[in-house]
Amino acid sequence: MTGSPLMIEARAVEKWYPNGFHALRGADLTVHQGEVVVIMGPSGSGKSTFIRTFNALEDFQKGSITVDGIALSNDVRHIDAIRREVGMVFQQFNLFPHLTVLENLTLAPVLVRKRPKAEVERQALELLERVGIHEQARKYPGQLSGGQQQRVAIARSLCMEPRIMLFDEPTSALDPELVHEVLEVMQELAEGGMTMVVVTHEVRFARQVASRVVLMAEGQVVEQAPPEQFFTNPQHERSRQFLRQIG
Amino acid sequence: MVPIPQPDSAWRRVRRQLFASRLDGLITVVLLVLLLSAALGIGHWALSQAQWAVIQVNSTLFTLGRYPLEQQWRLWLLTALLAGASGLSWGLLRAEPRAGVNARPWPRNDRIAVLLLLALALLLPAALQLTALIHLRWLALAVLLVLARWAAGRWGPLRGRWRPLVGLLWPVLYLLGMVLIGGGLGLSPVPPGEWGGLLLTLLSASFAMLLCFPLGVLLALGRRSALPLLRWGSVLYIEFIRGAPLITLLFLGQNILGFLLPGGLAPDRVWRAAWVLTFFSAAYVAEAVRAGLVALPPGQLEAARSLGLAMPQALVHVVIPQALRVALPAMVGQFIILLQDTTLLSLIGLLDLLGIARTVMANPAFLGRNAEVYLVLALLFWCCCAALGLGSRALETRLNTSHTPAKA
Repeated sequence: MTGSPLMIEARAVEKWYPNGFHALRGADLTVHQGEVVVIMGPSGSGKSTFIRTFNALEDFQKGSITVDGIALSNDVRHIDAIRREVGMVFQQFNLFPHLTVLENLTLAPVLVRKRPKAEVERQALELLERVGIHEQARKYPGQLSGGQQQRVAIARSLCMEPRIMLFDEPTSALDPELVHEVLEVMQELAEGGMTMVVVTHEVRFARQVASRVVLMAEGQVVEQAPPEQFFTNPQHERSRQFLRQIG
Repeated sequence: MVPIPQPDSAWRRVRRQLFASRLDGLITVVLLVLLLSAALGIGHWALSQAQWAVIQVNSTLFTLGRYPLEQQWRLWLLTALLAGASGLSWGLLRAEPRAGVNARPWPRNDRIAVLLLLALALLLPAALQLTALIHLRWLALAVLLVLARWAAGRWGPLRGRWRPLVGLLWPVLYLLGMVLIGGGLGLSPVPPGEWGGLLLTLLSASFAMLLCFPLGVLLALGRRSALPLLRWGSVLYIEFIRGAPLITLLFLGQNILGFLLPGGLAPDRVWRAAWVLTFFSAAYVAEAVRAGLVALPPGQLEAARSLGLAMPQALVHVVIPQALRVALPAMVGQFIILLQDTTLLSLIGLLDLLGIARTVMANPAFLGRNAEVYLVLALLFWCCCAALGLGSRALETRLNTSHTPAKA
């Protein structure tokens, strides 16, 4: 993977929350184009905080982050430029409940990319078909199941044609029987060559889809390795402890 | 085992709900007797003792104040335009299918409303003993409204291209109405001092409602802003206004605006009062909207921002629409209070509905007719507030997109 261009480069990132909690303590990560990086780790280890710094939903106090060649700084223009290229899928879906499914998808491309509405709608319907919910395009999010909502959220991000997709525990709020339909969509996306950073507890997904598994603990990246090696022969004591805990 | 509930006959329902036990029966009987005697008393008073001449003779005064007689055609024209626009909007709303529910062009409520409207247009002028000409005009207005409602329901959905213009209808009509009432554009001016009665009440209330709404939204956003100056300014404003009684602010407005601005610039007394009402209500609307903003999960803004929407876009398209939906009931409550608060204008010497009523009651010819006047006043206000309440509930149902299971 070293041959393909660098998409995310985070160096020694430190973050304190306003209440003084030291969430990130020198976290490092590089992600190359086409890679699928799965971040695992115990709760409170800073996984979510870390990927939320990649599109400036969280600020950080020390270190540097470069996304798609743009250095993350407090410059608003840089932040907006990065957010256009980075899609984000949340644990709680965060669909806009006052808009139909189709409007959820078309809102940003029309407003931000200034693309013609008819063209965006055509693309949106294609995307909805890809994630298997095009019949529901005129419904409101409140009328869909959790799994359907999360697939709409993925399609909504894709409609902006991002170069990177971030997933923040995308299946944690779902009923168990709905998890696989979301993971399937994510797997297809990965096979299509999308650069992805995924925070998840889904070991099977990590084994089958990840190009690299990263273990975080206490605000640091403790170990990173290809999935086969990580799950069968973890090098770090912290990793072994974590794998024992998740059984 | 629990017996399977049987479909109740009306008689059984009455028995179960009103006479379940001896005590229940006693309470029911006592309340019925009280209610009946009150109704009989009012009916007896209204039909045999009350002298409605005070209303009949002064009906124009109550509605328009001292608006010049030869210019009243302008208000008739405005009423006709309003009737047409109401019918149009009503019909279009019904024709538009909402989330998951098919459009029903003539639901039962609407048929009842039309019948009531026509009955009112027939009976009210008769009760007020107005001339046949005015009688005819009211009937024509009601028919116009119903026709516009029917036409819009029938052909409205077909004219997709004109849809965006419908939203402009009301603002344009409002500005046009201001011109028709106050003069300008070739119409001879009628100074605000000559507006009165229901006209002044509705005008000042609607003016304040329209302007306090955007102001309140801005204040609510300001109160949650990250910029300290904006935040503290908003907090200071809201808390100051909410800490002062409206009547003191009205007096303050009458005096202070006169001191602050040179003579020509200070708006007329009526406008000063309308502005004070606006600023007053804005603080309360701001608090209602703030409650809506607080209720919004932070993930909504995060999702909008991570899709690349700039802050103003995220606010306009994602945050504010949802916050307003939550704030709607509280906001309409504030609007209803605002409408009733316009009666305070009479205390600063303006001739709103209550002001007119007080001048009428001061007339020796109508001495002792207070009960008739106040009853009509109360009914008028009740009608306006009921309309606001009904409108807001209809809007809530229409905006409710959550958990309406799709009908197959």
